[in-house]
Parts: sequence; structure tokens; C-alpha cells
Amino acid sequence: MPDLETEVLIIGAGILGAATARELSRYKTDVTVVEKRADVGWGITKANVGVVCQGRDTLEFRPEYHRTRLLWRALPLMEPLCEELEVPFIRVGGWLLIRDQVKKEKLDKLARRTESLGLGSDKYYAYSELRELEPFISPEIKGGLHDPEIAVVHPVYLTQAMMENATANGARLMLETEVTGIEAEHGGFTVRTDQGEIKARYLINAAGEWVDRIAAMLGADDFVLFPIKGQVGVLDRNCSELASSLLAVIPEEPGDMNIVVPTVEGNLLFGIQLQINRRHDRSTTEHMTRLALKNARKLIPDISDKDVINSFCGYLMFRNFEIGWHECEVAMSERVPRFINMTIGYPGVSASPGAALEVVEILQKDGLQMEPDPKFNPHRKDIPDFSKLSDKERAALVKKDPRYGHVVCRCETVTEGEIVEAVKRGATTLDGVKFRVRPGTGRCQGGFCGPRVTRIIARELGIPETEVTKAGRDSTQVPLRTKQLLEKGGRDG
Amino acid sequence: MAKRVDVAVIGAGPAGLAAAIAAREQGAENVLIIERAEQLGGLLPQCIHNGFGLVYFEQDMTGPEYEKAFMDRAVDMGVETQLETMVIDLDEKREITAVSRKHGYMKFRPGAVVLAMGCRERSRGAVGIPGTRPAGVLTAGTCQRFVNIEGYMPGSRYVVLGSGDIGMIMARRLTLEGAKVEAVVEIMPWPGGLIRNEVQCLHDFGIPLLLEHTVSFIHGEERVEGVTVCRVDAQRQPMQGTERLIPCDCLLISAGLIPENELSRRAGVALDPVTGGPVVDQDRQTSVPGIFAGGNVVQVHDLVDWVSREAEVAGRSAAVFADKGRAKRTAGIKVVPGKNVRYVVPQLISGAGDVTLHMRVKEPGLSARLDVGGVLKKKFRSVRPSEMIVLDLEGEALRKSGIKGELVVDCDTKGSG
Repeated sequence: MPDLETEVLIIGAGILGAATARELSRYKTDVTVVEKRADVGWGITKANVGVVCQGRDTLEFRPEYHRTRLLWRALPLMEPLCEELEVPFIRVGGWLLIRDQVKKEKLDKLARRTESLGLGSDKYYAYSELRELEPFISPEIKGGLHDPEIAVVHPVYLTQAMMENATANGARLMLETEVTGIEAEHGGFTVRTDQGEIKARYLINAAGEWVDRIAAMLGADDFVLFPIKGQVGVLDRNCSELASSLLAVIPEEPGDMNIVVPTVEGNLLFGIQLQINRRHDRSTTEHMTRLALKNARKLIPDISDKDVINSFCGYLMFRNFEIGWHECEVAMSERVPRFINMTIGYPGVSASPGAALEVVEILQKDGLQMEPDPKFNPHRKDIPDFSKLSDKERAALVKKDPRYGHVVCRCETVTEGEIVEAVKRGATTLDGVKFRVRPGTGRCQGGFCGPRVTRIIARELGIPETEVTKAGRDSTQVPLRTKQLLEKGGRDG
Repeated sequence: MAKRVDVAVIGAGPAGLAAAIAAREQGAENVLIIERAEQLGGLLPQCIHNGFGLVYFEQDMTGPEYEKAFMDRAVDMGVETQLETMVIDLDEKREITAVSRKHGYMKFRPGAVVLAMGCRERSRGAVGIPGTRPAGVLTAGTCQRFVNIEGYMPGSRYVVLGSGDIGMIMARRLTLEGAKVEAVVEIMPWPGGLIRNEVQCLHDFGIPLLLEHTVSFIHGEERVEGVTVCRVDAQRQPMQGTERLIPCDCLLISAGLIPENELSRRAGVALDPVTGGPVVDQDRQTSVPGIFAGGNVVQVHDLVDWVSREAEVAGRSAAVFADKGRAKRTAGIKVVPGKNVRYVVPQLISGAGDVTLHMRVKEPGLSARLDVGGVLKKKFRSVRPSEMIVLDLEGEALRKSGIKGELVVDCDTKGSG
């Protein structure tokens, strides 16, 4: 007997799964999302730097590519979507820079293409002029193409907001639920998970890093994914003046990539893309750290290692070489009916609203009855961000709820009110709180607020502090009480 | 409505308490300490080990004992305190914006301000340790709070990176709690903390100190499962072929402290890139008139006793400023770190009146001869970067020397320490 029956089951609560769930929640369709992690957006979504890409690069965005069409479809949707869900969307603008005057031709070609596609209003600036706009750019840079349309979002905030909105409109979310096997049968699927069996009529595979493995469970399609590893460094907010827009340089060698990106929170990220790597291995290395800093300094020489407060690794998942690095898969399987694969590779975040719409159309075309739900509410209220409010708004908020007057994280000025609200919205872990309202993302990285946030989470969830985890499962923060080791009879080891 | 305040002190740690008491002693009527934590004392309540007060009280005290001595005096003298109150802004006109659960959103415009926010620890991200990102990586101070205040243990088998004082003290504390500390790993050729801590916390408990070593990788998916430790070369770079894996479930980081100057920055206070704290004059006045600073917010001290002393200077000067309403600007001599001297605080002196100089050397050495611009010379058996040198310079001697402009401090040593 199945433990649950649902019409549409989405595997994976990353940005694609969440976007699709939210799009489907417009209809009176029964939708369930399963996610193996303790929270949403924690797979490859989390390590995305959040640039809303314009898709103007001639090589990477040929009009015949499926992913190019998804992206161009999604671009006009992103800003209104962020407005509806109250997540920050900031048009920072972006630079494509050259270190070599010979490459100017490429920029001219790109500018002409952007214009012909109606994708923006790119303009070339020589170093002497661009210095006025970005005074910290290296004098080694000869010039650059500026696109004022480029924006940034926070991929995890957007995923959370879409998922929150989807569940508010009736979708079901099951966290810490890992798919272990799938059987296709007449009229549907039986999905085995570590939390029980789920019967579903349609299956949407948005498993991110593991999308090919899920497809393989059904023998559906034989695409293989190539994980391209990248490392990202985070700079202290004090350095925000070093760059106000996205800086990238035309690669000098194929596969070479380095960028400096402002985030919606004001930190700068800098990063490198590396080569194919063993999947799942998110470890940073000394070599990558050094290379990322070296490359970032080619753009902005003033970046100091003293200002690096954190670094992490992530993946871009690309499809088979023979199809090309640039193709994606958002389609119903040719071998397994009612099984839809979703994987974009690059640019996953920017193209996600387009991909979600496409999945809805695929379902409709296949004959799924989808009646619009008149009760659908597209809006979602964001958690109040104390640090960004005006004096007057702060005073009013503290008056209404004194917990907003209790600053718990000093680096990012996060209040108890925000942390409690994050837990109410589904955060059950330290990272869950951190990726909603930021305590621990600042320069002290949780040194001060860590014990205090642990206490609040335990209190709000009604669990002992020894059970509060960093990111679910066995990642407990303080597994033991004091004296417990002594009671056990002293040292182990 | 904002209350009238003569001197507002930001932070109720040892520096804040000492500054507030000194300001009252100097005659300031309304002295207010604003503190974000639930209690006074800053980090002292979690420092349950001894070694405090040897200079100030000539007594061996624990952190809480040292704290109590100052707290009692502050209370007796009528210093006001506002706890669980976070200062979120300070501007160059000394306007303070603060918020608390109890009092809501507040503004103060005190006659003078003393910055006493202390310092924070360098985190894993700041140190840049490669590897995975499991639970069980935390700074020694955070661990100290969990163990000594909250009553929780972050793990049972530890490696400590960095031989800062808190790291070594925690290595002992965790051992006493029944945990196993596999090693304290130090990248430099010398320990990062006081010799007495090396002896009393590591040697006495048989905890290995690995000098010229570092943690080159963190292993583990959910919890820390171990760390790779290796030797470093003269450039402090990991040496290939020297790696070994030490299984553990916790990595403590004790790799240095950074003065906490976010508010100072907001107020436009000039900072010294070497100390990380404000550039101060003899009175501990910063570059912004009426804003003073003392303790670890100015420079990271090794002894709390010096924190108290320095903050007293700031507190007294703040009271004078609040009373007179203007700066007694000590224009004059710039103190310049010379040979083998990393920094000297204060960075500016008046050339009149006695002054205490705090400094650190760059490299350790034996038979050290310290020369303060020819005005004062002093010999030391040995000097080390981890031990701050404190020198009293007499105003009379300084005046007689006729030095103007710059006072260069050199430290010559023979052999390595």
C-alpha cells in the first residue's frame, strides 16, 4: 500500500523543482515535492552565484539551443516574479572586460548581436571611461562592454520563496525524503523513498546533481551528466565598494573563467570554474583558493586575502559532450511516458521560470486536466529584514514585536524576531536559518551568534540543543552535554 | 526620549567597565554602558580559568572574579548599564542608535563616547582552511561559550589549529571534560600565546604542540571525521609528503583575534592597518573628536590587566572631554615602529606628561635592546611577538630630549628566541 498518492511528484526542491511546484500550484492539481536534504535549494542551487544572465553570448546562446529559448522566455518573467514573492532582485549591470585590444572585435560582435536580439543596451567603454564607473578595476584591463540589464538574485531565497508560495497554495513538501527506487507501471509510478512509498501519475525529475541517476532508475534516457566544479570566495561587506557590478573577463583559454559578482546582500563573490570533477565532492582546495584569488586580483588588484570571510564549491551539471556543452533537457522522456526530466546546466537560475512554464505545457499537452485554482495567491510576504529598514520602520517593528529589538547576529544585524520567523517558515537547522535570515554569514561566521541561534532553534522546535544540526542528519552542533564524557568513563581513543 | 548622558561606553567587557569607572572617578555625572549581551563582563564570565589580575590586583584571579571586582565598583559608583542593547549605528557627531527588546529603538547624543567593543576571532573562512564543510568546525572562543556557559560539548576528540591563548586554554579545559585533544597545531615556529599557557595547558597535560605545522584539509560530510595535518616550509606553505590524517570529530580554530571596529568605521574613525584598531593619541582619543577607545578594540592585548589600564585612560579622557566640550588635542609626536617592531600604541603622543607605550615585536629574539628614540633604552632577556611589551615613558625625559615630529622605536636582538 502506498503511503501517499499524488498526481504530480517532483523529485528535488532546488530552483527548478520549486519553480515548477509554484507554477503547478496555480491549478487544482495535486502536487508533491520530495527533497532528500533538510531544506530547499541546498543542492547545486546553493552554490550558484545568482547572476540573471542575458544570454547574449554568440557561442553559448545559439537560438537553436533549447536552453537559449528557455532563458529568453524566462528573462522578462524574473523581475515580476521576484516582486510577487518579495525577494530581492537588483539590476547591478555587468561588464565583459578585455585584457587584450585584439579581443575588442569580439565585444563589438556581441554588442551588435545584443542589439539585434533586443536583449539590452550594451555599450563599450575604454579603460579610461570605465574607470569612472568602476574605479577599482585593474589598469591592465583595456576596456569592456557594459550591459546595464544584468541583475542578481539570491538563488536560495528565490527557491525558498517559490516553495513557500507553492505550499501556501496547496502543494505538499516532504523534506529529508530520499528516493531509493522507482517502478513504472500502467498509469503511473511507484516511488520508493526512505520515508515510505509514493504513488504518482506524473513524475518530474528535478534532482539536480543526481538527475541522471533518477532517470537511470527507470531506464529512461541515457544521458550522462558532467559535473563542472567551481570555487567561490566571499568577501567581507566592507569591500562592497570594490565593485558595483558583475565583472567578467573574456576567457584567455577555453574553460578559463573568472568573475567578481555583487550579491543582493552587498558582499562580493569571486570565483573560478574548473574542470570535470567527481560529483558530490564539494571540498575546497588550497590550489583553487589561490587560483580564485589570483584571478580575482587580475580584475581588482585591491582584493586582499584578509577580506575573504568564506569560500565554497559548487557544480554546473552539463549534458553529454556529443550534444554539446550547451544543451539542456526539459522534456518528457521518449522511453518512459509521463516522466519529465529537468536539467539546464547553465544558466539554471535565470532559465528556471521558463523551464517551469514549459513543464506545465508538457503536462497539459499530455492530457493532464489542469483547472486554474481561483484561490491561487501569487504573493508571498518576505520576512522583515531589520538591517534594511528605516529608523521609523524599525521603531514600529520593535514596538509591535519586541523580539525584533533583540539583535542576535551582530555582523549582519539579525534579530531574534527574524530567526523565529525563519523557523516558522520551515528552517529546522542552523544553515536553514542562516540561508533565510543570515546569522553566521558575516565576518565572524557565527562565532558570536552560533550558540544563541542554536538555543533559539531548540526552543522554537521544542528539541534539546544537542539535537540541533548544522544541516540535517548527523551534523549536530553540540552533540554532548558537559560532564557526559566524564560519566561515560573518560576519554575515548 | 533620549536621556542625557555625559559619557557613553559601548561594550561592558573589562575595557568598558574600567572606562566607565574611570569616567565617573574623573567627575562625569551620567555614565552609561551599552552592552549587547545578557550580562556584564564581556567574555570574562566564560573565562573560568585563572591568571587574571596579576598586574592590576597583584592577585591570581579567575575571569569571573576579575569581572566581579570591576562590576562591584561600577555599581558602587553609580554607573548605569543597559543590557541586551545593540548599538547599530554611531556617527561622527557621536550620535548613537541602539535597539533592545525592552527599550525599543533609541538614540543617544552623549558628550563623549568610549569604544570598548573588544575583538572577534578569525574564523575558518578567514584562515582559509581547505576541505569539506561539516559541522564541528568552530572557533575556540565559541567552544568556550558552549562549554562554560551553555553546558554543551561540540565533540569528544579535538584538533586545535593555532596556539593562541584561548586555544591552549580550551585544550586543557576539554581534556578536563574528558575529551581527547590530539594536538595543537601552530603554523609559526613559536607558540602564539603566553609561555605560561604553553606550560600549564599543554605540557602539563601531555598535549602535543606541533610547531611549523598546519591543518591542510578538513574531512567529513556531516560531522568532522578528521583533519590532515602537515609541515609548512619557511613561506608557511604546506610541504608535500608530510601530511598525516588525524581522526577527530571537532576542529577548534584559535588563529588570532581581530579588533571589532565596524562601529568605529561607521563613525569615520581612522584605523591602523597593523593593529586593526583606531589610531589613538596619548589620551586614547581617536581621529574623531570626542570618540575615545580602549582595550582590545584598539589592539589585541595578551593580559586583561592591560586592557583595564588602557581603557581607564580612555574613560578619564572622555570625562574631561564631556566636561569641557572640546578636545585637548595632543598634537605632536608620531610614534613610529622601527627595526623589528610591528606596532606601537598610542600612535600619537603629546611630548608632555607620562605615557605608557604598548608594542609588539615582529620576530622573537634573545638579549633584546629596546630603544625609544634615544629617550628610553631597556634590555630584555627575550622578546616574542606573542608577548606585548609595555613601557612607561616619562614626560620629563621626553621633554628634555627635545624630540619633535617622530619618535622611532627600534628593537635589536641577538640570536633567535
